[in-house]
Amino acid sequence: MLPPRTVVAALAAAALTLPLAACSGSSDDAGAAGGKVTINYWLWDDTQQPAYQGCADAFTKANPDISVKFTQTAWAQYWQNLTTQLAAGSAPDVWTDHASYYPQFVSSNQILDIQPFVDRDRVDLTQYQAGLADLFVKDGKRYGLPKDWDTMALVYNKQLVQDTGGLADLTWNPADGGTFEKAIAAATVDTHGHHGLDPAFDKAHVKVYGFLPEWADGAQGQNGWGDLAVSDGFTFLDKNPWGTHYNYDDPKLSATIAWFKHLIDAGYAPAFDKQSTLSRDAVMESGKGAFTITGSWTIGTYFGDNTKQKYALAPLPTGPAGRKTAINGLSDAIYAGTKHPDQAWAWVKFLGSSACQDIVAQHAVVFPAIRRSTDKALAAHKAAGRDVQVFTDEAAAPGGTFFLPITDHGNEVSQIVQDSIQSVVLGQSSPAPALKKANDQVNGLLK
Amino acid sequence: MRLNLGRIGAWAALIVFLVLTILPFYWMVRTAITPAGDLYTDSTNVLPAHPTMINFWRVLGLVDADTARNAGGSGARIDFLRYTMNSGIYALSIAAVQTFCCAMAGYAFARLRFPGRDLVFGILIAALMVPPIFTLLPNFTLVKNLGLIDTFAGMVAPNLLMTPFAVFFLRQFFLSVPREVEEAAIIDGAGRWGVFWRVIMPMSRGPLLTIALTTAVWAWKDFLWPLLVGRGEQTRVLTVALGVFLQQSPNTQPDWTGLMAASVLSVLPVGALLVLGGKRLVQSLNFTGIK
Amino acid sequence: MSHPVAVPAPPLPDPPPAPAGPRRRRDDRRVAWLFLLPVLIGFAVFYLYPTIRGAWYSLTDYSLLRAPAFVGGKNYTDLVHDTQFWNSMKVTAYYVVLNIGSQTLLALGLAALMHRLTRSVVLRATLLLPWLVPNVTVGLLWMWLLDANLGFVNHLLTAVGLSNQGFLTSPSWAMPSIALINTWAYAGYTALLLYAGMLQIPQHLYESASLDGAGELRMFRRITLPLLRPVLALVLVVSLIGSFQIFDTVAVTTKGGPIGATRVIYFYIYQQAFTYFHMGYAASAAMVLVVVLGLLTAVQMRLLRASRSDLN
Repeated sequence: MLPPRTVVAALAAAALTLPLAACSGSSDDAGAAGGKVTINYWLWDDTQQPAYQGCADAFTKANPDISVKFTQTAWAQYWQNLTTQLAAGSAPDVWTDHASYYPQFVSSNQILDIQPFVDRDRVDLTQYQAGLADLFVKDGKRYGLPKDWDTMALVYNKQLVQDTGGLADLTWNPADGGTFEKAIAAATVDTHGHHGLDPAFDKAHVKVYGFLPEWADGAQGQNGWGDLAVSDGFTFLDKNPWGTHYNYDDPKLSATIAWFKHLIDAGYAPAFDKQSTLSRDAVMESGKGAFTITGSWTIGTYFGDNTKQKYALAPLPTGPAGRKTAINGLSDAIYAGTKHPDQAWAWVKFLGSSACQDIVAQHAVVFPAIRRSTDKALAAHKAAGRDVQVFTDEAAAPGGTFFLPITDHGNEVSQIVQDSIQSVVLGQSSPAPALKKANDQVNGLLK
Repeated sequence: MRLNLGRIGAWAALIVFLVLTILPFYWMVRTAITPAGDLYTDSTNVLPAHPTMINFWRVLGLVDADTARNAGGSGARIDFLRYTMNSGIYALSIAAVQTFCCAMAGYAFARLRFPGRDLVFGILIAALMVPPIFTLLPNFTLVKNLGLIDTFAGMVAPNLLMTPFAVFFLRQFFLSVPREVEEAAIIDGAGRWGVFWRVIMPMSRGPLLTIALTTAVWAWKDFLWPLLVGRGEQTRVLTVALGVFLQQSPNTQPDWTGLMAASVLSVLPVGALLVLGGKRLVQSLNFTGIK
Repeated sequence: MSHPVAVPAPPLPDPPPAPAGPRRRRDDRRVAWLFLLPVLIGFAVFYLYPTIRGAWYSLTDYSLLRAPAFVGGKNYTDLVHDTQFWNSMKVTAYYVVLNIGSQTLLALGLAALMHRLTRSVVLRATLLLPWLVPNVTVGLLWMWLLDANLGFVNHLLTAVGLSNQGFLTSPSWAMPSIALINTWAYAGYTALLLYAGMLQIPQHLYESASLDGAGELRMFRRITLPLLRPVLALVLVVSLIGSFQIFDTVAVTTKGGPIGATRVIYFYIYQQAFTYFHMGYAASAAMVLVVVLGLLTAVQMRLLRASRSDLN
């Protein structure tokens, strides 16, 4: 018979050795062996990764003790992953941040205030495009340095859009869609070759859709409904940034959404519930879409070397209140819980400097936030034979841009408004009451 | 004659079931050996026109980022060999320790006499009714506060020592063991531990294996908990890695050929288990049917 | 024999009391607590303590990043008015009905076919394969098979002249698709459990019925089904509770969309806790789930006991 002590020992052995033996020791977050520090850095756009990897290489060359480890997570999952990592206390040291999503991290004290660093190192905030640096300031605290900016434009397939004459100054209104809708209809073709304005057009068998809308567009509608609604006089918020009351119940917005729904009903745009997992640019590449609204960050996608289709850009249509494009800037945020704030700041400062932004400019994927770097990016695009002037012209037009809404609870607001708009385009509810309900919900969050 | 027709129909139905079970796996493999660029043009043939192993090499982390990107990936570093090993460690450690501890407890509840036995057992069994999500939230904060995020210790902790079901199942089995077996050993002078270790355990191989296998399969498939506490590279298990891989796809579209190659890798170990120990596994299910 | 160790149905609900009299009374308390020690530690730390903490969280405003603050029953009153929460309960119930219904029927048919046709272990092992594959893999695989443009299933549909479907992107198709995906994953396993139960039915019943000229369908109705009822009921209870906990497949394929059509209760709780940082609110939603599942189990146990008694 075994004495009880042996039993205990056996138990202890079984309970303790296995997990400890299996435990790998420390996780990879520290990485501080021999004074070397690894900064974990997150971003969502895989096409931009090579450009920023170029920055990281230059950065590590200048700071041999700091290396940067990249993690890319697709946009659809980016914010959910980030919040889970924050909850676990193991967020990346630095992450790419978005104006509409960062306030929730500010209110939960997850982003480091870099104003002291900015003051200490005398970072020149005037070198950036106007307004970008201020997007990331709240109550005198600064939560990021601008890294890039983007505006929106129409992109079209040159083979599928024959009549390009009036594309430079299309008009739009929610009642009859203006010349924009005519251009869309003319580019829509059914399987028998009838285009959308032909009375014989068969909307049940469409071969090429005139327009590809984006419905996973959060509460901003940056890729379509937001820009058009604002061009009709809609405003998202009572004041931006840091408003406390959303206006999603504005009839101008519901009229805009109703117009999109009308495009689907007329057969000019694909039905929401028949979408594939492919994104709009992949559908454009397959030759099944003529027009879509896209941001300047997709230049590389549409004008890269390997595209099957040939594309061109046109400015957004002019609405009753003028031509309006969302202008948005990204920044880099430092995790408040980082073990290496100084090294993280060094990296963020480098990302916000012309040394990095010129590298990004040469890759010609996005427009860097620094004005001189933007010019370099334009030159790089020109050298590659791409005409992307539309984006910079729109950005320069007086009163032609608006910033995306910045409030607390961005994550939840996005889900609520997106669900509501999707239910409208599916025909499950009508625009005005659905948006009213969503608006009540999001304003309830901000109380 | 009528009977024969009926039998043929029944066999036909059975074969349809089999085909429906197998076909998706076939398509998984078929996609995994297709070059990403061919998915649009060559996605209907029975076999791909240009079979390739590149998708496997890149999910195993054997090619550089540019090659991976050209083959349809995002260029993110992935290492499915390591994730598979992590899954193995996670599943086997939980299965082994949990089965052993629960066997001891099950035996105590079935055979030993002590005050409060039925009360304690009742409380344990009541926990069967609590859905795991309810304890998951506080367990997450507990593991976080202990600083065990991204460690194997934190991952295995909640289920390492017990699940109410395993205790219940093994107790029910031990109750059915004839008392005479033990009485003989006790008369020979064996203590409680001796009886348990030398008599009861060896004769309970079947049910012990059943509970260990079921636990191992459960842990092999587990997703939510490892997603929350073990997302880091060192501790990432297969299921989490697949989820992360899906998210790290290029924004334009999921990297289907890579995903299917990784999926094949996640099926291979259990496929091997079926080939080697399918008989044992199938038989062990006969127990749970009666639990 | 393919089922060498048949476990006798354990005595319910409690072991028979040891016959009093000749046997000496023992008290094993010291050794017993040692036997129980690891399990009790595991239970206290990871079941009991979190249950109490979870109940406490549900009464607090807790963001995970700051300390919990007591708010009384506010989370619960908010829940009552939360249409998203009720929608989650609704779609979960919808899923459970679709999944359990199709899965049980298929498994029953499959088990009956095997029972009357073959004892092949290879066949059973093959049917078990989908159950061994992680739900995440299953979700990925079917997401690919059901893709609206490139998926195999849509190739088949277009090949026979039907139009392609966005199975996982259409609000009306998404939930049935997910339910059937999980049916695919679990029908074989469930069939094997039922099959094991069928093997307990004495063979001679079938032989004599067959001599009386009964057909297979009749034998299934008259012999298999009634004698299988206790096993069937048990399998139903277990798979029903499991079905309520669907998460992985949704997390991989639809992430709760489109428009909340697949935002099942687990996913809702997960989102509240880890995406929106409403840990207290999530805990109260989980608490409601505990109550609902408890009631359901109680009802089922009652039915189960009823079905047991008419067999004895």
